[in-house]
Amino acid sequence: MARILYIEDESDIGSWLKNDLGERGHEVIWLQSGEGMEGYFSEADIAILDVMLPGLDGFSLGKRIKKVKNDMPVLMLSARTAVEDKLEGLSFADDYLTKPFQPDELAARIEVLLRRFQKNDQVLDLHHLQVHTKDLRIIDREADNEIQLTGKQYQLFQFFIRHLNQILTKEQLYEGVWGEQYMEGDKTLMVHIRYLREKLEKNPSRPEIIETIRGIGYRVKI
Amino acid sequence: MAIILVALFLFQAAYLLVAMLAMGLQEDISGEQNQNETDPKQIEEKWHADSKALKNSSRESISSLFAEWKRTYPAASMFWVDEMGNLMEQRDVKGNLPAQWTPAYTAKFIKERYGGDPFTVISFIGGDEKNGFIVLEIPRNLFLPPLVKAAEKYGIFLGAGLLLIITLFIIVSFLFFRGIRKRLLHLQEAMERRDMDSLPIGIDVQKNDEIGQLEKTFNEMVDELKESKQREQEEEQLRRELIANLSHDLRTPLTKINAHTYSIGKEDISPEGKQAVKALKTSIVNIDRLIENLMSYTLLMASKHKQELIELDEVRFVRENMASWYPVFEKEGFEVNIELEPLEKKWKADPMWLGRIFDNILQNVLRHAKDGLYLEVATLSSEEWDAIVFIDHGKGLKNSSNERGAGIGLSIVDMMVKGMNLEWDIESGDSGTVIKIIRKH
Repeated sequence: MARILYIEDESDIGSWLKNDLGERGHEVIWLQSGEGMEGYFSEADIAILDVMLPGLDGFSLGKRIKKVKNDMPVLMLSARTAVEDKLEGLSFADDYLTKPFQPDELAARIEVLLRRFQKNDQVLDLHHLQVHTKDLRIIDREADNEIQLTGKQYQLFQFFIRHLNQILTKEQLYEGVWGEQYMEGDKTLMVHIRYLREKLEKNPSRPEIIETIRGIGYRVKI
Repeated sequence: MAIILVALFLFQAAYLLVAMLAMGLQEDISGEQNQNETDPKQIEEKWHADSKALKNSSRESISSLFAEWKRTYPAASMFWVDEMGNLMEQRDVKGNLPAQWTPAYTAKFIKERYGGDPFTVISFIGGDEKNGFIVLEIPRNLFLPPLVKAAEKYGIFLGAGLLLIITLFIIVSFLFFRGIRKRLLHLQEAMERRDMDSLPIGIDVQKNDEIGQLEKTFNEMVDELKESKQREQEEEQLRRELIANLSHDLRTPLTKINAHTYSIGKEDISPEGKQAVKALKTSIVNIDRLIENLMSYTLLMASKHKQELIELDEVRFVRENMASWYPVFEKEGFEVNIELEPLEKKWKADPMWLGRIFDNILQNVLRHAKDGLYLEVATLSSEEWDAIVFIDHGKGLKNSSNERGAGIGLSIVDMMVKGMNLEWDIESGDSGTVIKIIRKH
């Protein structure tokens, strides 16, 4: 599905993860140091970097990648868990996962990053809907027609798709889509969610696609 | 320095000046008359002697006697009364003398003048009462000690001089103390100034006097403080790195164990094998958390955990945190109930720390309250306080069968809550646990 540039000096961990991600359908280019990584920039969709490496450390490598190819998502995968390290990592990288980790979680994070950077066109099955992530075409499989969304509905749905499986709070949604500070009591978001549900859900009064998580926010889950 | 010397010696100098002035005046006055000429006894004797020496009581001889005395005592006055009681001659006498002297008047005159002022000497001419008498009058003040006379004569100048010196002294003192006060205030102000590290800033030393030296010493102290602060920061950095490296070095093999466990789990293994893999995975998660807690605990104990308090919308913070925790509880089959009401005031807290407090409390719920399968997170507020409340329906912390090391998680909660000037409260019983994070207004 995606080509992953993975830099890890521990051969046990490296070979295991290469296999695991390979089994999940990804193509993994595994290097044990940053030496020669530039040669793979053009073909890689995403980079996963350990921090403690021989020669240049993962932070330096990540910064270099971002400098050369800003649209390549970078995920730091490190046993360094101190807040200072995470902050340094997240100053340039797109995600930071600490070791030991669950491969499922890593795979999910890779998916999120790929979607965020729109690296691959995925076709998602959301109940009765089929969603093409790259151009956000929504097909109602049962009625066999395409659902058209208005500007704000489109942006809102896109925000959900980019943060698939994540619970999004009212504040996050409003600020992410409208780009303004959310004011407590503002009904704009609720109104737009209702319109969106009317277009997407089979039964808008019992929504299945856009879930309400009471007291927290909303979620689109596959 | 010079000003101190002036201040120190001004009084002495003033005394010296007054003394010298007085001495000079004394000499000046003493120079006018010799000692004999101011002794009343000697004058009296000399007057008697001169009077006795007069051969006759002719007008010429008496006049020349009077003239001679007048030269010696310009302030003196004299007169002559002849044997018949007639006032024959007078010189510079103040007041009116009778032309005719009766015995009664003479007696009254003598009585009046005895021991009085002016000093009066009455002497018979040629030593014989039949020749009449001559009288010498000298103002008493002529006999006063020279200093008193000087005081009388130059008193106003002396007074003015003294006043001038005192005024001068006050002015010099005022200038001196004002100068010192100004510099001391400046020094105090400089000592109170702080730079970015909340350390005092060095002073620009301009003079090399005592205050200048004080300023220099202060600067040296500031330098020492800076050095020690830098050393402390370096040690802090070293300590953090050490702990971070240690944690990294522990996690790397743990990641390997995790990887291998995962690989084994995917093999076709017996149910016992699967059970073992599950146990291994749980242990890995626990060790991971323990390493994390141990690291935080060590840093907290040494007060080396970074803290940055900011104004925080607590409800928003809770909602976002619960958004990331919700799926975990959902997966475990918990009923999650979130009841958030907007709080009036913002909290002052470090989001990292507060996030850590959340993680530790919720991890505890996950491990200790699985029986209850219920989690409620709510905000409560009253006039005096706001609180975030975590309620579970587990069997309580005391009845927990899990590892004892879990206590460290709540110890961190305790330290972090107190470190942010918040309070917390925990009630744990057989039917559940209620934890409140409280912020008093």
